[in-house]
Amino acid sequence: MTNSVYLHIPFCSSLCTYCSFTKFFYNEKMVYSYLNSLLREIKTKYRGEIIKTIYIGGGTPSCLSVKELEYLFKIIKIFNFDANIEFTMEVNPESLTLEKLKLMQENKVNRISMGVESTILKNLKYLGRNHDFSLVKEKMQLIREVGITNINIDLIYALKDQTLKDLKMDILNILSLKPTHISTYSLEIYPQTILGIKQEKNISEDLDFQMYELICQELKKHGFMHYEISNFSKPGYQSRHNLVYWNNENYYGFGLSAASYIENIRRTNTSSLKKYLAGNFLGEEEVLTKKDILSYALILGFRKIEGINKNMFFKKYGVNLLDLYNIKDLLKKGLLKENAFNIYIPCDKIYIENSILINFVGE
Amino acid sequence: MEQKNIRNFSIIAHIDHGKSTLADRILEETKAITKRELQDQMLDSMDIERERGITIKLNTVRLTYNYQGVDYILNLIDTPGHVDFSYEVSRSLAASDGAILVVDATQGVEAQTIANMYLALDNDLEIIPVINKIDLPSADILKVKKELIDTFGFKEEEIILTSAKTGEGIKELIQAIIERIKPPKGDKAKPLKSLIFDSLYDSYRGVLTLTRVFDGELKVGDKIKFMQTNSLYDVTELFVYTPNFLKVNSLSVGEVGYVVASIKNISDVKVGDTITCFNNPADAPLPGYKPMQQVVFTGLYPTESNKYNDLREALEKLKLNDGGFSFEPETSEALGFGFRCGFLGLLHMDVIEERLEREFNLNLIATSPSVIYEVLLTDESIMMIDSPQKLPAPTKIKTISEPYILTHIFTPSEYIGPLMELCQNKRGTYKSIEYITPERAILYYELPLSEIVYDFFDKLKSISKGYASFDYELIGYKANNLVKMDILVNGEIVDALSVIVHKDFAYNRGKVIVNNLKKMIPRQMFVVPIQAAIGSKIIARSDIKAMRKDVLAKCYGGDVSRKKKLLEKQKEGKKRMKQIGSVEIPQEAFLAVLSNEEIDD
Repeated sequence: MTNSVYLHIPFCSSLCTYCSFTKFFYNEKMVYSYLNSLLREIKTKYRGEIIKTIYIGGGTPSCLSVKELEYLFKIIKIFNFDANIEFTMEVNPESLTLEKLKLMQENKVNRISMGVESTILKNLKYLGRNHDFSLVKEKMQLIREVGITNINIDLIYALKDQTLKDLKMDILNILSLKPTHISTYSLEIYPQTILGIKQEKNISEDLDFQMYELICQELKKHGFMHYEISNFSKPGYQSRHNLVYWNNENYYGFGLSAASYIENIRRTNTSSLKKYLAGNFLGEEEVLTKKDILSYALILGFRKIEGINKNMFFKKYGVNLLDLYNIKDLLKKGLLKENAFNIYIPCDKIYIENSILINFVGE
Repeated sequence: MEQKNIRNFSIIAHIDHGKSTLADRILEETKAITKRELQDQMLDSMDIERERGITIKLNTVRLTYNYQGVDYILNLIDTPGHVDFSYEVSRSLAASDGAILVVDATQGVEAQTIANMYLALDNDLEIIPVINKIDLPSADILKVKKELIDTFGFKEEEIILTSAKTGEGIKELIQAIIERIKPPKGDKAKPLKSLIFDSLYDSYRGVLTLTRVFDGELKVGDKIKFMQTNSLYDVTELFVYTPNFLKVNSLSVGEVGYVVASIKNISDVKVGDTITCFNNPADAPLPGYKPMQQVVFTGLYPTESNKYNDLREALEKLKLNDGGFSFEPETSEALGFGFRCGFLGLLHMDVIEERLEREFNLNLIATSPSVIYEVLLTDESIMMIDSPQKLPAPTKIKTISEPYILTHIFTPSEYIGPLMELCQNKRGTYKSIEYITPERAILYYELPLSEIVYDFFDKLKSISKGYASFDYELIGYKANNLVKMDILVNGEIVDALSVIVHKDFAYNRGKVIVNNLKKMIPRQMFVVPIQAAIGSKIIARSDIKAMRKDVLAKCYGGDVSRKKKLLEKQKEGKKRMKQIGSVEIPQEAFLAVLSNEEIDD
């Protein structure tokens, strides 16, 4: 069963220096053609299942005009909404207006993810973000005004010249906004981004790790649960949509470069706008063997701090988690840990988990 | 073809003086190839040769030329230019009756010009001096002429001026080859004596043996005997290379060609051996030629231990047409099963390693190169060792001696000062300076061979902006205060990283090595100490910090295929590392001991 939908809106009104996602400058003419293509894709693929989570990401979905958003929501009405749906929309502070928010709320958006990234002007400039913290506060107010209370804030750290003190200020500022969820990302510099082209370098891995530790500490202190490598939430506010990914469950992905996982096939749509508009949606396709499925289950499941539930794993895949790969050996070495229910990566190894996860891929 | 109309000649030169281009031009002039077919450096058949602009393997081509109404066969036997390959040069020269000595009009006489010239004189060859690249604006023909006359005693009128680029002088050169080089000696009526000077492996035909007939005649159907290995074969085919393989029925005195005899066993064919007829054998073999001298040894190990047999097969195949290197099985605790390989020099080592990786698709780890040490034990017996691992316990050793060389460094006089400093730093002893002209000198130094095994050549080139060249000869052994220095990774000695060093230099070398290793070994999941030790005494230490971050923090929009691919890539990368204890060491790290200086971060 596929009960989740990701929708990609590849338009932005300005480009962030670090962003490696597929996006284009916002362009009125393009948006309608794009939305029509999106509609076509949904119509050909959607099988009418009940949808429990929707996530509209980008790009910057909130940079669409009210009219365009109205059209987008009209398209989304195709989906058969579960009564208890989690419907997330990504926004940035600049483009968000009360009018757009009302429209979202009317169309059942009940979770907002706002790209705050930093609260310090110098760092925002480095990231190519055009807002400041007072604007963020203002927009938070608006979100609450329309009655949306489940709010995620994105935070980027490990920026050039950033100190632990700067980061602590970011954390405290963000906490003052009282979000229900915080996603933190260590800045990665990709070659095809503005920072990559400028040949900016990553900060030292030691400082990066100290920053990560600081985030974990501070957020825990303020009542957040650390439930995935980069994600923290107030109890009961974990992102259900993202848990679909990490629990290796099925999901639709519509739109440019969107990824989907349906009936043992992982597909990634084309990232060529031209092809997408012409109705050639597919980019790559990976048909999974039983072994691949297990491999994904492990590399995704171990992203969760609680790890993988042994019983549920057996029920779902018919194999004993302990018998897979060298899991027993890793347990012996202390690279994995075990309790009555779960197997998980110990806290102090979570930030070097790739060294552990590579045991579960390839030959 | 009559014996008197055959000419066998080689071209010798210092590296980069235009030998291969000159050869191409001769091929073109003799219509062996048309201009259109002419690939740059036709005779350099290996990719590595074309890329590096050097000739490593000799190649031989048979040309025909009509001069004054008479047809001649010209066998051009190509030679490598680098000092490491003087063995190959002597093979070519042994099969030749004359040699063209090429000197670059912009560079003049250099170290290997002289070295190769002496080899040619040893072989009693007629020498034709040629000044090449005369088309270049910076050519100084008068100066180079004077150098040739002063250094070797040529007469001015003997010197031929050419430009391999424009073709100027090539006709005159070919005429000189016919007029000045003597036709091959030898008697067709005598029992067969034919020198093996190279071999190739062909998967269909087996071993192809390149040979020059000195006496008698070699015919298809003959039963032949290799005099050194005493093996017998039937000649199934004979070829000459024009540069296309052309079948012939026989090879007579003075002719050069390939013998096919269904030889499957590579070790039966020894370059330098003599072929004779089984039914009418010659009484004695030909007097081979200057034997090769292996001076550098290194351990070669496959990164993946299941590739050991592939490596052995590859080495056997390379050995077939490169008599200059040797190998024998060796085991290392750290690296598993591999081979101890001996080379003629550093470039030779480089080339073989590169060929193994490229042509045979092997991932290799090379250990630090070593020379052969002479160890006098307390019981007065002598042991020769080519690897630090083979050094006995210090209590059993009375003295360790190392090979010394006399270097002849050719340099513009302005670099003499810095070059002397370089030699001093390499534990050198000054011998003398000889001025060829006021601007050019030869600097003589005695140096331990082990010191040039490292970065001497690169240093020499950088100090002299590329103008200095050098050559060397081994002059014997000297006892020195040498010790074995071990490198410990995470508390364990990595035998493949041990080196023999002079005690006075050990502290500095140790420091450099541990710091370089620290930079080359990626962080592991725990702190890894790197130590240098002499016996049980630690003389340097540097710690690799524990890995703090190895995570894909961002996992966005459900694109997890990408994440899996990245993990797979990371895993592939790990495969190329060698697991030693619980530490993963990348291949390059095994060469960290090579550098005398700290590498940059």
